[in-house]
Amino acid sequence: MVLRKIAKRISFILTTALDRTKFALVSIGYLLKQPKYLASFLVSLFVFLYILSFFKDGNGNWLLLCSGLPFGTKMEVLGKVCIKILENFTSLYGVLIIFMSILQALTIMLLIFTWRNREKDHAIDGASTGGIGAIFGFVALGCPTCGISLLAPILTAVAGTGAIAAAEGISHILIVLAFILLIYTVIKLGYVSFITISAKKYKEKKTCKRQLEQSQFC
Amino acid sequence: MQKAIRAIAVLLVVGFLFALIIYNVTNPPKPDVSVWNKAMTLGDAQTADHFFYDYTDIMCPYCDKFALAMDKHLDDFRKEYVEDQKVFYELRLTALLASFHPDEVAIVENSTNSASAGYCAAEQDKFWEWYGWILTKLNNDYFSKGIGASAAATQHIPQLDVKYFTEVGDTIDGLDSNRLYECVGSDNTRTTVKNNTSKAARIVKGGLPYYVFNTYVSPGFDGNWEPDHDWENAKLMFDAGIASKK
Repeated sequence: MVLRKIAKRISFILTTALDRTKFALVSIGYLLKQPKYLASFLVSLFVFLYILSFFKDGNGNWLLLCSGLPFGTKMEVLGKVCIKILENFTSLYGVLIIFMSILQALTIMLLIFTWRNREKDHAIDGASTGGIGAIFGFVALGCPTCGISLLAPILTAVAGTGAIAAAEGISHILIVLAFILLIYTVIKLGYVSFITISAKKYKEKKTCKRQLEQSQFC
Repeated sequence: MQKAIRAIAVLLVVGFLFALIIYNVTNPPKPDVSVWNKAMTLGDAQTADHFFYDYTDIMCPYCDKFALAMDKHLDDFRKEYVEDQKVFYELRLTALLASFHPDEVAIVENSTNSASAGYCAAEQDKFWEWYGWILTKLNNDYFSKGIGASAAATQHIPQLDVKYFTEVGDTIDGLDSNRLYECVGSDNTRTTVKNNTSKAARIVKGGLPYYVFNTYVSPGFDGNWEPDHDWENAKLMFDAGIASKK
């Protein structure tokens, strides 16, 4: 009896999650067809790809920018990151960075839409979850075998040299956590957007119908 | 109210992490200026204007990217940096990967044996020749095939026999393979590796490779296994090291 109840509950949760994912995908597709939201998606995607690629192999690039190198050389360092963005397509690790940037860019795009069309502060919850996901992802990506990551200096500063060994294991957990949080946020914001879009369309239809009744054109 | 508390909490966490990164970047550890092994140096410490220390482990792929580029351009390095800029360069060979992964037998054995073989080659005054040989061998056998070349690598380097690091054959003139093999297993060598690794562990923060070029300190190497591209990146770091003293 209890088992059947649990199974029923799980099946309900799964069905709801699948439905929400479907609605979220519909709203994402709808928004991506609109130039202003497509632009915000592309800009956010580039920004996140750039930041994650910049810190991909640890904080070496940042240290070069903080060093006494001439200004021109520092600009070269910044320019080389664009090549690293393209290099991402050639490795599994790079593909993870691209996937995370896409999720983050979608979150920003959906956030802009829900923010512009909000009636109640529904999106804020999703945004803060996405923000935490982004932080985790940002910290965790950049974790080669030898322990080079943003996480290692952070842990080192907190717990001393022994932290280096822990960084690799923890960062894998953070990557998974970051993806779960970001996917959850995209689905949640996407679902909210779907409701907003549907309401908007319904409203437009209703207004149109009224105008048609009054003036014979819409 | 709840949202405001959540926003403040997120801001506090971000601020804390950011402050730690800044602290870590702006407070590099003080370098150890004593020479660990003269055979692993380039240049003259007495007349040098710049002091470059490179903490490495032969089994660390990122260390080897840098080292392979350096090996290919060793003459350029000697000319441009050691002679022209009066750089003193010391390679500080460690078995730090063994201490990072104490439960992984293959890593512990390979890291310890390779470092030991390095110190033994230095004993015969053939370190740089041996170093170039082992880097090329590891690259041809493993890294170039994607084995153990990065964190994302699906295959790892298996536990290697000591002879992998000592069977130089006739490739290096004046380096005795048998002597090298016996030396790797000696207590004396093991103690040297252990002591130098402990010394390095107190300095190295943020993983390997770890570069202390004057006051410019940088963990990690951002290369892509193309010696020319890697050499460009290495030169950027050397230049940053020289600029840090000006």
